[in-house]
Amino acid sequence: MNMQAPPPVTYDKTIYHLKRGSAGPALDIENLDLYYGPAQALYGVSMVIEKGLVTALIGPSGCGKSTLLRCINRMNDLVDNLRIDGSIKLHGENIYAKSADVIALRKRMGMVFQKPNPFPMSIFENVVYPLRVDGVRDKAVLEETCERALKSSALWNEVKDRLDQSALGMSGGQQQRLCIARAIAADPEVLLMDEPCSALDPIATAKIEELIDELAGQYTIVIVTHNMQQAARVSDNTAFMYLGRLIEYGDTEVIFQTPRSPRTQDYVTGRFG
Amino acid sequence: MTAPAETAAPTTGPVAHTPRQRRSMKTPRSVLIADKAADWVIRIGGVGVIVAVFGIMLFLAQVVVPLFTGAHVQSAFTSTQPIGTEPLFMSVVDEYKTVEVSVDNTGKMHANHIRTGAAIDIAPFDLGGKMPTAFARTPTGRELAFGFADGTLQMATLKVGGTVIDTKDVPADLRRLNEADATDGSAVYTVVSSDQTRRVSIAHEIAEPQQVAPEGTAIVAVDYRVGGSAERPTISFVTVDANGIGRLSRSESKTNMLTGKTTTSLTSSELPGLPEGVKVRTVLMTDKADEVYIVDIGGTFYRYDARDFDAPVLAETVRLVADGVQVGSVGFLIGEQSLVVGGSDGSVNVYFRLQREGAKTTDGYQLVRAHALESQPSGIVAMDVSQRGKMFVTSDSAGNVWLRHSTSEQVLLKLPPGQSVAYRTLTLAPRENGVFATGTDGKIHGWDVSAPHPESTLGTLFGKVWYEGYPEAGFTWQSSGADAFEPKLSLVPLIFGTIKATFYSLLFAIPIALGAAIYTSEFVHYKVRSVVKPTMELMASLPSVVLGFIAALILAPIVETWLAAIFFAFVMIPTGLFLSAYLWQLLPSPIALRYGGLPKFILIFAALILFGYLSYVAAPVFENLFFGGDLKAWANGERGSSAPFTAMLVFPFVFLGIFVSSDAIVTQRFGFVLRGSNRTSAGLADFLRWIATIVVAAFASYALGLVLISIGLDPRGGVVDTYVQRNTLVVGFAMGFAVIPIIYTISEDALNTVPEHLRAASLGCGATQWQTAMRVILPTAMSGVFSAVMIGMGRAVGETMIVVMAAGNTPLLDWNIFNGLRALSANIAVELPEAVRDSTLYRMLFLAALTLFVITFVVNTVAEAVRQRFRKRTAQL
Ligand SMILES: Nc1ncnc2c1ncn2[C@@H]1O[C@H](COP(=O)(O)OP(=O)(O)OP(=O)(O)O)[C@@H](O)[C@H]1O
Ligand SMILES: [Mg+2]
Repeated sequence: MNMQAPPPVTYDKTIYHLKRGSAGPALDIENLDLYYGPAQALYGVSMVIEKGLVTALIGPSGCGKSTLLRCINRMNDLVDNLRIDGSIKLHGENIYAKSADVIALRKRMGMVFQKPNPFPMSIFENVVYPLRVDGVRDKAVLEETCERALKSSALWNEVKDRLDQSALGMSGGQQQRLCIARAIAADPEVLLMDEPCSALDPIATAKIEELIDELAGQYTIVIVTHNMQQAARVSDNTAFMYLGRLIEYGDTEVIFQTPRSPRTQDYVTGRFG
Repeated sequence: MTAPAETAAPTTGPVAHTPRQRRSMKTPRSVLIADKAADWVIRIGGVGVIVAVFGIMLFLAQVVVPLFTGAHVQSAFTSTQPIGTEPLFMSVVDEYKTVEVSVDNTGKMHANHIRTGAAIDIAPFDLGGKMPTAFARTPTGRELAFGFADGTLQMATLKVGGTVIDTKDVPADLRRLNEADATDGSAVYTVVSSDQTRRVSIAHEIAEPQQVAPEGTAIVAVDYRVGGSAERPTISFVTVDANGIGRLSRSESKTNMLTGKTTTSLTSSELPGLPEGVKVRTVLMTDKADEVYIVDIGGTFYRYDARDFDAPVLAETVRLVADGVQVGSVGFLIGEQSLVVGGSDGSVNVYFRLQREGAKTTDGYQLVRAHALESQPSGIVAMDVSQRGKMFVTSDSAGNVWLRHSTSEQVLLKLPPGQSVAYRTLTLAPRENGVFATGTDGKIHGWDVSAPHPESTLGTLFGKVWYEGYPEAGFTWQSSGADAFEPKLSLVPLIFGTIKATFYSLLFAIPIALGAAIYTSEFVHYKVRSVVKPTMELMASLPSVVLGFIAALILAPIVETWLAAIFFAFVMIPTGLFLSAYLWQLLPSPIALRYGGLPKFILIFAALILFGYLSYVAAPVFENLFFGGDLKAWANGERGSSAPFTAMLVFPFVFLGIFVSSDAIVTQRFGFVLRGSNRTSAGLADFLRWIATIVVAAFASYALGLVLISIGLDPRGGVVDTYVQRNTLVVGFAMGFAVIPIIYTISEDALNTVPEHLRAASLGCGATQWQTAMRVILPTAMSGVFSAVMIGMGRAVGETMIVVMAAGNTPLLDWNIFNGLRALSANIAVELPEAVRDSTLYRMLFLAALTLFVITFVVNTVAEAVRQRFRKRTAQL
């Protein structure tokens, strides 16, 4: 992507046709501009993420989906020379306020990365890591949590007999489900998933999609995906991003069947990207 | 991506990819050759390294092996010409093993060429026609004494020696003795080089008789030593007469300068306490004439304390052989402190005097059996001791001749009996390179032997050895000293020194190096890191001789002066930093965030300096509180109690124990406060909890300290004791300087190579940076961190100059951090210039090198094995 010379085209305002959930908004992103050093990666992104719904982020590679996702739990803080304007509110509290506690914020969110990244520890320790971090030492609590999380991520039956073995000995798909289990072990309010299925075979992908279906309602889920069918299948709302801008955001059905922006139309019908 | 057709985005559209040329399916020859060549170079290089390492090891081993090979016979011979069969008092051999001179029991002298037995002319002593009833010789054989039936005594000197002369000065008409030697009748000539010849000749002299015992009372035993100066010789002697009266006498000769006449005065005092009618076997007198031993036939030793010459005291009466056993032969070892007692049962034991608590003797000393050597098959009849070391030779009535070493207790050689059943005398060549026995068959039986390292066995190098005059067996290294000195070459103190230096320096270096590595890799901005890391690496390039020099000349006096402050700083600074970190947490978030960067960094430094200064200021208070006001005097055990210090040592562990065990309860009861959303109040609550834990832990550790002391685990006398200026603490600091950069850079690299996605995963789970570092990064990088520590350890083990200069080089065996040490490497550096090639010390230094090599090898192997285990866990990352 060429960030040095801004595209000469002018962009329309984002087209919204949001499907509302029953519980109101969980996240409110307002006018978010993000710069990696001199290069701007997000341009005035504003979107409301409904509580309990699944929101998909789609768009061509490099359009800023991961960047936006990482803003939500402030993982971008680790990046040098990063500047952010605008605000993100979690249940009305600005997470970029000076007084915001980043650690506490991340505890309220679970994150699943594009590449499975289990720790070099046992499967059990991987799953209960967020609890360990919270200082939980009660064995019963840990075991119960581990079982629940692994069951939710459809991994329990495969690993229940080898919980004390290294997580690195699992297959890529199993590792990714383990990471999901880890993300939901501490009962987060929001689950952020960055292309969780990109490394997986269709069966594992199907399992994870099922899992997302099950988790929906219970958690607010934001998922980045390149797979249109997946977005169409699992999400309630879809946001289409292009060159750092939010082009269209709304009901998944509308996005995929009657998109209101021609760019969205081109993208979802496979004319580019 | 490709840009959509309808946007004017300045991106290039897809271009058809048409390769200009198909790739050739054949690999070019040059590539194949380069590949093979690289393969071979690498292979040869690798094998070469292995060969070189093993070559060095083999070379070291080859130098070391002779230490353990004992002795061997180079050649054995029997003289051909008969030399007579009279019983002999003694015989001596010259340094070059050419001539043997013996004295028979009629006082007649015999001189023979050893290898042939050919007689050499020798003038007889003028004994006034009397038959000697007693005979004595000093251990060198250069002074002799004859006692007579009329109670008189005659002293004599005998010298058999070689001088090198010009071949042209050799008399013309020599009679050939064998291919090497020729004689002119009274001396033996040996050609040593084209123009040099050795002449071995005999010189002897006898003095006027002196009346010692009452006229007509025969002297039955005598021993004497010559002291005083050449102008005014003092001869001390001890005699026992036929009536069983022992006398200690001293004769002084004065030469009148004017008349040239010599007057001799004799003073005697009687030795008290000898039983009536005692049958004396031997009398012995020490070099300084301060101890006298009278040995009766039955094996009882009467030891006299003759320090007061006019009033000798019977200090001890003791049997030194088993009941029913007689003394076969007895003599002093070199230095005249140790007695070798050979029994009629074949036993050979070595005794010396030791000051013993509760000794039932008048002088507080007691004869102690220090070495029990292997018994010979039959009773010991003769022995001769070396005048160079603790080697001696014994023969038994069956004709077995055994070459032995006292300190190492080993039998170096067992020479089998010859045709003639018994030997009349036994002589050890002055250079310890030959054993000669005059047989009852009228022949000289000789063995040329080689025993270059009689004092070393595996047992003496690595086990406890009882050296002469030491209260008990122990591990000692002392390679040089005054004459008649026995080198004490135990490697144990040196190995211990290496371990001690390594342990204390790693104790100091590991926490700092790892702490710094974790800090720079996980907590600071990469820009700070890019400054800190090269700086630390620069530290590693400081030559260790400079470090040692600074440590010895600057650091040692500073540490000595500010000892309490330094100790206190070890407590103060970490506590202070923790405290600051806690106070920082209490800051409201906006402030904390605003000043989180450089200001925080500067504040850390400020805190460091502040607490360093505080420990300097408060040191006297600390010293009063913990060390009775004076750390050094306290360490000696002179003042104060050990309890506060012990409490301080156990405090961290007690604290941790209490913290962990109380954690569950605290989080259950007060969790809501601790997890409270308000940062400041939660921090305050947590802070109070810390304070409470510290107070409880302080009391608990004081109690534990008291308990530990009462069960004998007092740190004083163990890890702390008498203070010397060049000590392990100083070495620890200086070596820490050398080791910290190594451990730091390697472990920092290891921590840094932990994949970023693990860091992200952990932070994404809501872990703090610290939790991420401790729970994820450190365990993942464990193999690298472990190697870092091991490489640092390897450096510490082999480090030489720092320990040479700062450690005081005292080969001790204690853990006292205030005392010096001598490490293997330092020992090699210090002693190699003094070591004569192929001497025992020389080979010992090679053994030290080999030991160092083995230690490093073992450390590295263990390290590698452990590292592989760690690595397996993270192999799939
Ligand atoms: N750490 C970073 N530093 C500088 N630029 C970055 C950084 N991360 C991302 N970018 C840039 O920001 C833009 C958006 O990147 P981002 O990773 O958000 O894209 P994405 O939509 O997730 O793409 P993909 O679908 O390929 O994952 C890209 O141009 C990228 O080069
Ligand atoms: Mg991405």
